[in-house]
Amino acid sequence: MMEAVAEPKSVYLQDFQARDRSAEPAWWETRREAAMQRFEAAGFPTRKVEAWKQTRLGNVTQEHFRPAPAPGSLGGAAEQRLAVVDDAVRIVLVDGILDTGRSDLERLPDGLRVRTLAAALQEDGGVAEQHLARHADAEPHPFLALNTAFTTEGTVIEVTSGAAPEQAIELVNIMTADSAGVASWPRVLIHGATSSEFTVVQRHEGADGAAYLTAPVTEVIAEANCNVRLFHYVDEGDSGSHLGVIHATLDRDAQLYAHAMHAGGQRVRNDIYVNLDGPGASATLNGLYLVHNGQFSDIHTWVRHNADHCSSRQLVKGVLEGKSESVFDGLIQVAKGAQKTDAEQENRNLLLSPKGLAHSNPRLEIYADDVKCGHGSTVGQLDEAAVFYMRTRGVSEEEARGVLTFAFANEMLDDMPLASLQTYEREALISLLPGEETVRKLL
Amino acid sequence: MALLEIRNLHAEVDGEEILKGIDLSLDTGEVHAIMGPNGSGKSTLAKVIAGDPGYEVTDGEVLLDGNNVLEMEPEERAREGMFLGFQYPVEIPGVSNTYFLKAAANAIRKHRGEPEVDAAQFLKHVRERMQLVQMDESLLKRPVNTGFSGGEKKRNEIFQMAVLEPRLAILDETDSGLDIDALRTVSHGVNALRSPERSFLLITHYQRLLNYIVPDTVHVMVDGRIVKSGDKQLAIELEESGYSLFEEGSAA
Repeated sequence: MMEAVAEPKSVYLQDFQARDRSAEPAWWETRREAAMQRFEAAGFPTRKVEAWKQTRLGNVTQEHFRPAPAPGSLGGAAEQRLAVVDDAVRIVLVDGILDTGRSDLERLPDGLRVRTLAAALQEDGGVAEQHLARHADAEPHPFLALNTAFTTEGTVIEVTSGAAPEQAIELVNIMTADSAGVASWPRVLIHGATSSEFTVVQRHEGADGAAYLTAPVTEVIAEANCNVRLFHYVDEGDSGSHLGVIHATLDRDAQLYAHAMHAGGQRVRNDIYVNLDGPGASATLNGLYLVHNGQFSDIHTWVRHNADHCSSRQLVKGVLEGKSESVFDGLIQVAKGAQKTDAEQENRNLLLSPKGLAHSNPRLEIYADDVKCGHGSTVGQLDEAAVFYMRTRGVSEEEARGVLTFAFANEMLDDMPLASLQTYEREALISLLPGEETVRKLL
Repeated sequence: MALLEIRNLHAEVDGEEILKGIDLSLDTGEVHAIMGPNGSGKSTLAKVIAGDPGYEVTDGEVLLDGNNVLEMEPEERAREGMFLGFQYPVEIPGVSNTYFLKAAANAIRKHRGEPEVDAAQFLKHVRERMQLVQMDESLLKRPVNTGFSGGEKKRNEIFQMAVLEPRLAILDETDSGLDIDALRTVSHGVNALRSPERSFLLITHYQRLLNYIVPDTVHVMVDGRIVKSGDKQLAIELEESGYSLFEEGSAA
């Protein structure tokens, strides 16, 4: 007992106790306190914690990241990339701070309500009070707990029953070159009422050179028969760390299509939790990580079949360049009684260099007996026979490798339902490839 | 000067010598066939000429128009007008046949200092060439060889050759595994492309091919060496007598 008392408080607990909490409702403060306590009890994970043993946290746990006092200035390149998705409702955060000037919340279509987190917190008995931090926070995830404790900026999206807004919602998170030492805790709550259908795009992009931490949390509640499409694009700066969580809870017959792409960042990890809680719910998780020399990328999935007749499809591909490292760790958990489960998981990795290291860990926990579960995982290099075949047709070795790499990764982008984002992501893929010019012509 | 001149070619894979001194001279406009039993090194010869990095050339020369081919990368050889039809064409998922051919055609044109192909003209050219091998147009949009039947893959090789119009085509067992209809189609494609400016080196296991593509010269290859050369009559004799006549110990 004495030792526990004498234990030093983490810098984050000190920050937590020092912050101004006057404007916040009591219910929210209670949830924040609980999260802070969870973090303080467990601390940052060491390599001994199973779920984090392969994640290279580096000095993230030693640094003391603080919210930016003011947003930095965007470079011209970032300015150009503010709007990617055509005709979207847009919210822009710069260095973790809402930029109202660059956001566009006008012209909201019928059935769609989009507010800032701060605005939604003020509503008594509203969606935030009902759902915020009441689903995701069941997960023991240190950065999720910190997000709940510290988030001030975020977005609350509600789609009413039966509504199917055509406009996508695009949430843009930009970290500037001025963001060294900055912590960004964006929080997104998405509530889709019965039989609603909608698309949310989240982009996280950062400038090179600044060692910042962004730890976004997205909580999705899909009511019965709701159809959610969620796109997550991460291209952090070469010194930036991104440790994010997407957490979806699906009621009966609800459908989730999630598409994640990691295009860059010194270290990027996303944990995607999907709870299939009602019969007939289904989830598709598509992921692609392109890991540059010296970078680390990690996708953890946690798909839980908690009801009967649910289906899930996970397909995650990775391309590793130079001395880089990746983790795919995928859980399929089938609860007792979740009969007629149909679950598949596949992870395929392409190493462009012998120095790349790809970890692939399928985890199946099956407690029901009438289920169909499949998984597969591969780590390999380009097919040298295919490279030679192309060369005998006059295509250079570099171009052959570029084309074959493109073909491998592009499978994840080929049938994306959002054309403007597809073009954008494809461009990110091509710019990484050897023989870029030829690949571009092949499109 | 011969189009292709091979002198004392030795090559090995994983330290095992496969080609033990090949000499061969192929003039422009000629069709030569190389026949031989399994393991004689026929396919190795084709791959070594095309530049497969899996083989190491330990001695000898391969000249194309007097230029040393062994110092060229495989893609340079292709751009110089060489084409290898594969015994087992490789599947390239995700790359459509048309795009692939366009990349190949442009690489060759660039090498010659010509402008890139005009998209419409190229498509017209491609369609004409498809008819030569009676290939279904739907295969154009499909990824290269992916999910093709054995016969479709071989037709696709001849189709690619017809589009790229090489000076020297080396066809490695293009006839193996084909039914008679497919063999006729493939042979028709090759015969249609025979011209005074183009030479063929046919590697085959079966004499049957030579009923459809009549060669100027037939070489018999056994254990990494060419043991006999002659006219098409040699192939017919081989069909009757088998290779044992040429194999070690029984030659006398």
